[in-house]
Amino acid sequence: MYRHLFKLIWNKRKQNFLLMSEMLVSFLVIFAVFTLLVYYYQNYKKPMGFDYEHVWVISYSNGDKNPNGDSLKLFYEILKRDIRAMPEVKAVGQMSPNIPFSSNSMQNGFRYKGKVVESVNDYKVDDSYKDVLHLKILEGRWFNKGDAVAHTRPVLINNGLREKLFGKEPVVGKIIEDRQIIGVVADTKFKGDYTSAGFASYSRIDTSNIHWIDRLLVNVTADAGPAFEGRLYKKVAGYIENSNVEIEHLVNKRKSINYFALVPIIVLSIVSCFLIINVALGLFGVLWYNINRRRGEIGLRRAIGATGRSVASQLVIESMILATFSLIIGTFFAVQFPLLNVFDLPTSVYMTALVLSIIFIYLLVLICAFYPGRQAAAIYPAVALHEE
Amino acid sequence: MLKNYFKIAIAVLKRRKFFTFISLFGISFTLTILIVLTAFIDKVIGDDYPDKKRDRSLYINRIEENGKDNNSSATLSFSFLTRYAGSLKTAEKMTIFSEFRGTNTYVNNKKISINYKYTDANYWDILEYQFLEGKPFTRQQVDNGEKVAVISADIKKEYFGDVASVVGKYIEADNVQYRVSGVVKSLPITSYMLYSDIYLPYTVSKKAYKGTGYKGEYMAILLAPSKADVAKMHDEYEQVVGKIPMESKEFTEIHSHADSYVVGYVNTGNEKKSGMLYALTAIGSFVFLFMLLPTLNLVNINITRIMERSSEIGVRKAFGASSGTLVYQFIVENIILTLLGGVIGFILSVIALYFINEMNLIANLELTINFTVLFCGLVVCLFFGLLSGVYPAWRMSKLNVVNALKAQ
Repeated sequence: MYRHLFKLIWNKRKQNFLLMSEMLVSFLVIFAVFTLLVYYYQNYKKPMGFDYEHVWVISYSNGDKNPNGDSLKLFYEILKRDIRAMPEVKAVGQMSPNIPFSSNSMQNGFRYKGKVVESVNDYKVDDSYKDVLHLKILEGRWFNKGDAVAHTRPVLINNGLREKLFGKEPVVGKIIEDRQIIGVVADTKFKGDYTSAGFASYSRIDTSNIHWIDRLLVNVTADAGPAFEGRLYKKVAGYIENSNVEIEHLVNKRKSINYFALVPIIVLSIVSCFLIINVALGLFGVLWYNINRRRGEIGLRRAIGATGRSVASQLVIESMILATFSLIIGTFFAVQFPLLNVFDLPTSVYMTALVLSIIFIYLLVLICAFYPGRQAAAIYPAVALHEE
Repeated sequence: MLKNYFKIAIAVLKRRKFFTFISLFGISFTLTILIVLTAFIDKVIGDDYPDKKRDRSLYINRIEENGKDNNSSATLSFSFLTRYAGSLKTAEKMTIFSEFRGTNTYVNNKKISINYKYTDANYWDILEYQFLEGKPFTRQQVDNGEKVAVISADIKKEYFGDVASVVGKYIEADNVQYRVSGVVKSLPITSYMLYSDIYLPYTVSKKAYKGTGYKGEYMAILLAPSKADVAKMHDEYEQVVGKIPMESKEFTEIHSHADSYVVGYVNTGNEKKSGMLYALTAIGSFVFLFMLLPTLNLVNINITRIMERSSEIGVRKAFGASSGTLVYQFIVENIILTLLGGVIGFILSVIALYFINEMNLIANLELTINFTVLFCGLVVCLFFGLLSGVYPAWRMSKLNVVNALKAQ
């Protein structure tokens, strides 16, 4: 039976070629959209990894008037102690400008046994930073005062980097170039809900880099309002002379970074939705027309005893075979993405997207062929043959 | 004759309403998306408020220093710009201004976020901001370091409420009181180089603008005396940058360019990755894929429709119509269909743009229809319509009458 269907398709190869290329292009578009959607969804499902609810960020400038690193450190210790003393404040930490939910990033590389990971986000933090964001320590320990005198620079890495670089090996205590790993932190989605946690390393603010550290993170109680924020603002602006100060809330920063991640996806989905409607209508029209042209053939089949169901299924299967051809070609192109690792996405994302889009295209073709098939089944042999 | 063709066309369109609907849907929808997309691009990078002299301006907004394992890219320092960009002989005028930064102010227990930007007095000459009231600060005021500010209409409303005039009043930002000297029409944040809520003289900047490092938070616009001098000015700046000594031993190369607005706008800050190429590939491949599907669809539907009319063609031929007349008739039909699609597409885009503007996705970003794009879109639709509708019809008109008639 299938050989027969192939022959039918081959006889009308010119017209079928156009139909197939349409299905092929729709498959590629759908594959792209699904890849993005699956990637976003996989990221969204993962836990945030830190608390941002009541965390505020204070950005200040001109904190580096004092050329001496040690006295500058002391200068900030006093400021942090003062802020900590306010009743609404639960914890204060200091960090580099790549704060959570900001587009600012600083990256460095890690090399271990020939493996290289280039894009490791590097966060310069202080000892109390962990308590502000409630980071989870999976192995080892967080920084403490004793690390100031360590002769290899102590660092913590996140779980993603640990798995990528070391697999199952124990890592705590390992020395990589001039850095010693003292612990592993659970992954944190610092770039928003829909972006992967990526690789991260945390190192301690010391006297050599404290000059360009210009953010404070403050964890406040739930009832801290604008009045308190005004007081906090005056405190910082009064303490650091001639400083530009800005206070932002992580809750709002999360909203805006998610917004920028979601808007393109929403626009893309709307556009491809319309595209698919367009394609579906087109497919439907062409199939419907084809069936109308084959009334004679169908009438003859009915006359010699084919059931309505078998006529309908013949037409549907014909369309499905066409779809299969385009899907085979489309899949060939689609698998190049994970094979060549074009966009640095995990293979599972591509595979899920591939399966989803294959199902989608089959469903689409099935729906478009179903009604014309039903119509064909309803043809009376006498009427159809009489027309001829 | 034409009137007859017109009547036939309408009758044909009415007869197979479903196919007509599919064709019209495809054409009008494709046009709508194209128009909305280009309206957006047009507004974001093509809008010439407030830099109306864009065609003779060059923008310097980044410096990149590269070393063996050290790459860094940032906006420039005030001293770098005055010293090197200021030395150009071809430039008629130059303005230096900072990127916008955020701060807060607290009025009546309410928090207002304010973005501020430092500028010099030339800024107001080169850029033609529309002043709703008051006037810009003068060179004298800048030199004296007076605490004056030009504010945007949005922040006026947010800070002062609905009052008629605010010139001479004081606005507090960053713990400092500034006297308002003028109010300008707000910009969307997508013009990130020029956008701000309040504009302040650079001399009141809290950060020392006199530092001698290369990197800082300033950008510059160079104005050439005429359009013809722009290329010369670009080359002169490249030469000047080529001769600058390295800032420190870790770097071996310095890159900084005076570019046109669009090139500067998409600058990625990485010499090896051209922002322009990136933007063009992204938009290009999107538009290509996006256009390919409706086109295939249109071709498919058109071919199907023409096959359906083989008997009509046969009858016309049997009564002596030449291939030319037949092709002419189909051209008219196709033009009517495309124009109809164009009209619907135009209406849809007006509605879509209205809703997008209403939703206010990005404040102050007013999108408008670009008629060139509408026209180009129509031409493309017409081309494919003719290709897919008229060519098969012509082929068929070459058929033997007997065969064409028998096909039914």
